[in-house]
Amino acid sequence: MIRRTMARAALSALLLAGATFAAQAAGTFRMSVESNLNTLDPAKMKGGQEYVVAYMVYNGLTIIDHDMVTKPDLAERWEHSGDLKTWTFFLKKGVKFHNGRELEAEDVLATVKRIQDKAIGSTARANFEIVEGMKALDKYTVQFQLKSPYSGFADLFGERQLRILPREAIDTIASKPIGTGPFKFVSFAPGDRVVLTRNPDYFEKGLPKLDDVVIRILPEPAAQVAALTTGELDFVWNLPLESIDKVKATASVKIDSVPTSSWDGIIMNAKVKPFDDKRVRQAIAAALDKAILTQIALFGHGTPSHSPIPPSHPYFNKDLPIGKADPAKAKKLLAEAGLANGFEVTLYTPTGRAARERLALTVRELLKPAGVTVNVQRVPFDVFLKDIEGKAGFYIDGFFSRSTADTSLYPWYHSRGSWNTTLWSYANPKMDEALDRARQAATDAEAKSLYMEAQKLAVEDSPGVVPYVINHVNGMSAKVTGFRSHPMMFVDLRNVSLGQ
Amino acid sequence: MFLFTLTRLVYLGVVLVVMSILVFLITQAMPGDVAHLIAGQFASKEVVEAISIKLGLDQPLIVQYGRWAAGILHGDLGRSLTLEQAIAPIVIEALIRSLVLAVSALFIVAVLGIGLGVLAAVRRGKLSDQMVSGISYIGIAVPDFFWAILLILVFGSYLQLLPTGGYAPISDGFLAWAKHLILPVITLVLMMLARVARLTRSSMIDVLQTNYVKYARAKGMPERVVIFRHALKNALLPTITVLAINFGWILGGVVVIETVFSYPGLGRLLLFAIQRHDLPLIQATILLVSTAYCLANLVADLLYAFVNPKIRHSMSNN
Amino acid sequence: MAAASPSASSPARWPLSLWIGMAMLAPLILVAVGGPAVAPYVYDEMNFLARLQPPGPDFWCGTDEFGRDVFSRTLVGTRESLIMGFSATLISLVIGMPLGLIAGYKRGRIEELIMRASDVLLSFPPILLGILVLAVTPPALWKAIVAIGIVYAPQVVRVTRAITLELMQEEFIEAARLRGESARYVLFSEILPNIWPPLAVETSLRIVFAILLGAALSFIGMGAQPPSSDWGLMIAEARPFVEQAPWIALCPGFALAVTVIGINLLGDGLRAVLDPRNTGRH
Repeated sequence: MIRRTMARAALSALLLAGATFAAQAAGTFRMSVESNLNTLDPAKMKGGQEYVVAYMVYNGLTIIDHDMVTKPDLAERWEHSGDLKTWTFFLKKGVKFHNGRELEAEDVLATVKRIQDKAIGSTARANFEIVEGMKALDKYTVQFQLKSPYSGFADLFGERQLRILPREAIDTIASKPIGTGPFKFVSFAPGDRVVLTRNPDYFEKGLPKLDDVVIRILPEPAAQVAALTTGELDFVWNLPLESIDKVKATASVKIDSVPTSSWDGIIMNAKVKPFDDKRVRQAIAAALDKAILTQIALFGHGTPSHSPIPPSHPYFNKDLPIGKADPAKAKKLLAEAGLANGFEVTLYTPTGRAARERLALTVRELLKPAGVTVNVQRVPFDVFLKDIEGKAGFYIDGFFSRSTADTSLYPWYHSRGSWNTTLWSYANPKMDEALDRARQAATDAEAKSLYMEAQKLAVEDSPGVVPYVINHVNGMSAKVTGFRSHPMMFVDLRNVSLGQ
Repeated sequence: MFLFTLTRLVYLGVVLVVMSILVFLITQAMPGDVAHLIAGQFASKEVVEAISIKLGLDQPLIVQYGRWAAGILHGDLGRSLTLEQAIAPIVIEALIRSLVLAVSALFIVAVLGIGLGVLAAVRRGKLSDQMVSGISYIGIAVPDFFWAILLILVFGSYLQLLPTGGYAPISDGFLAWAKHLILPVITLVLMMLARVARLTRSSMIDVLQTNYVKYARAKGMPERVVIFRHALKNALLPTITVLAINFGWILGGVVVIETVFSYPGLGRLLLFAIQRHDLPLIQATILLVSTAYCLANLVADLLYAFVNPKIRHSMSNN
Repeated sequence: MAAASPSASSPARWPLSLWIGMAMLAPLILVAVGGPAVAPYVYDEMNFLARLQPPGPDFWCGTDEFGRDVFSRTLVGTRESLIMGFSATLISLVIGMPLGLIAGYKRGRIEELIMRASDVLLSFPPILLGILVLAVTPPALWKAIVAIGIVYAPQVVRVTRAITLELMQEEFIEAARLRGESARYVLFSEILPNIWPPLAVETSLRIVFAILLGAALSFIGMGAQPPSSDWGLMIAEARPFVEQAPWIALCPGFALAVTVIGINLLGDGLRAVLDPRNTGRH
């Protein structure tokens, strides 16, 4: 009896499965990300895979486009006072949240207020310390009062955490995401997948073109690549660099890449001996060949650089030589610093970041001729944040692209920058002056020369070595049309469709 | 038998309580700090402290344990700190996925392992026996993750027949779902097949030498009847016990297999939780796997006692 | 059982499995002792011009993504794997044997306590217990060894206790106790020498489990750390390149298999020599 019931259950499961298989829409976009999403609450997001979902479900007031220009998104337009301290944003009318309610100025206020809340712990909080007050002028207008002039304030609203949320659903946003974006949230199985569906009321008429999006979480690079080449996936976000060559060789698959200003850094903490001595830091920098580091750590899918300003950027300082290894010079500098016999040091790197691990091991190899013995130590990411970053002397860290030259340099190199003390405690008044003046620069040429100066100082003082900026590479099926890789690694699916 | 089962159950309860304390203490001793992880790289000290207080991480250990244990007794496994969701549905879903792997592997192992074991025993010393032994040896010797990589290499990359990782829910279609199970299940089967086949072989050989079987043969019963109706029935009992033990063993082994195949079961959930230092999730996952492991062992014990009355008596007297 | 001792059977009557096992293990042990000295290249030396090279005359097992010689790395890894297997087992023995002896000899409440404690440890699947122990501190090889030692100690307790219990029934122990010998004398002079043969068989199994568990822990990143050439770690690191450069994973995997088969054969052989009555028992 039991056996018969089971057989029947199995049969009906089969039929059911067949039916759903047939019913699966042609417009389902199947993509993968490399690691699990820790949260669907944009304010708390920290990882690229989370931002992928954020840009499909939510919108900001502004958007950073493919050419890194800030454009209107939920805000139709904005204006600022002459002293750059009063900023007014005018919202688009008739934009609907996924729960059917219209977007209002109060939602913007609630969102920013939440970002400012210390208990939320948003990574964007520091940016909004500059806000002195804010208010809704009417249903569709918000005004911000800043403590000091800041020309980049509108750019902040294109940032990843600044997704505008419906104020009534803010406390349940992590489990029931509601936004204004092109896709609506359907389900999230941690460690497995996120399912989204088309938002028929999306404010850009006729978009998006896809019916559904399935974002699968596949941490094994080999599994991602295999799924892409066998047609099980349409799109692999941020393709593992070591597998690009293999993907290129497959006819049914194409890749699209874009230079970014995401970088890995070999951090030398000036608070810790012997890195308090500039000559030691310069010696380390001199011993490293950036072309080799790029080749090994990124399999060549990046560009050697000397600061977070990428070589593709108009402000990039071409006059500075990109490091070729010079162990003799390194030895000389070490001898001057009283370390003629070299020294031994531990290089920490967070576990599970393959490129950074390769970078660490290559640094270890390249420092051998200079007489520096490096022990590489992998540490779990939470331990890395708690005990290594800003505390250890020598470690590998890495950062995503920032949208402007200011946000790319200031936090790291200015002595009061938010990242400076948590990273390397670097201070040079000349650097501070250059970065401060650049913030209020009247012309582009003036800003450019100041940023060129900052890069020169960054190389000279070597608070750390920025070996390269990393390419962002996506792999996709040949039938995917309308996709362009974004330098901020966003996945913009509004215009994407699946041809046959 | 009832008394024996009861003692074992009470005993299981005690073990689980001690285990829960142990899990709790060890996870508390882990380095790193979830408040830091949530607050992220930008966070200031006050932010980290605010989060700590919100999560109750600042309270004494015994209070935290009491709250946790009371929750579990009410079926509440707590909330994941990093996923910000109730843990129970997450772990149950993952458990079901792991069980799908484990049960299908166990079923195949039972059928194949017993079949091969009987074959080897009946043809003792002949070529097929030696082949079974040889294959068993290799099956045990190669670690599971290496089997997994070999299978990925052959079936995924070279033959391009099967997906090399991931999971498709049954709503994606039965075929897609089943395809994702094949390689992990084969890996688990390879790991266990050898033991089951070897054990069946040796107990079968023992049984075949008993007077009882000799008598049946002398009576002129057909060899097939002797083997399958008389000998196998007696030889299988220890094998079944080992299968039950193996079942618990698979539940532990899935950590590695699920990692290689990116299969979203309990094992991967555990590693994820460890990487993120998500204490409630680590505690719940380990407790669940260990409970399942203990239950499988209990079943094995009971089966064994059922088979072997001598043990039953000596153990219930203890 | 107590009567069986190694000297009882001459090498001429040793089973084939023992010989094959020794033949497989001897070169491994030589390589482990020789370590880096017998490897053609320095195990962690990178050659940026020869990355991901297939096996050939220069690199017998090819090179990895850093241009390191896979053959040399596998050779050097032998030492690590064997050290891991042997020292973890030693730790299990050091912890487990005295406890098992006491439990078997003293009986009563002490026995109850020891056995229940090891039951709790046995309630965890071994790899989980390993992960749990290792997760407490940043990973390192020696920590993995200690963890494995702890994980398998309860099994040693059980086996030792069972053997001790059996021995306690033997007449010569009975006699010694009736003679009024001290507990220490009975334990060390009467029981201990007779425990070794069956325990040695058990130990060979333990070593295999320890090596495999160690490799699995390294594979999931909780054992040996880069640039170590531990086999489990090598296979884990080779995972992304398994399609382009399968040799990086195959070479250490093959070495691991040979080691485990060798020790298994040796164990089977030992069982036949030392503990003839138990052949075929599991």
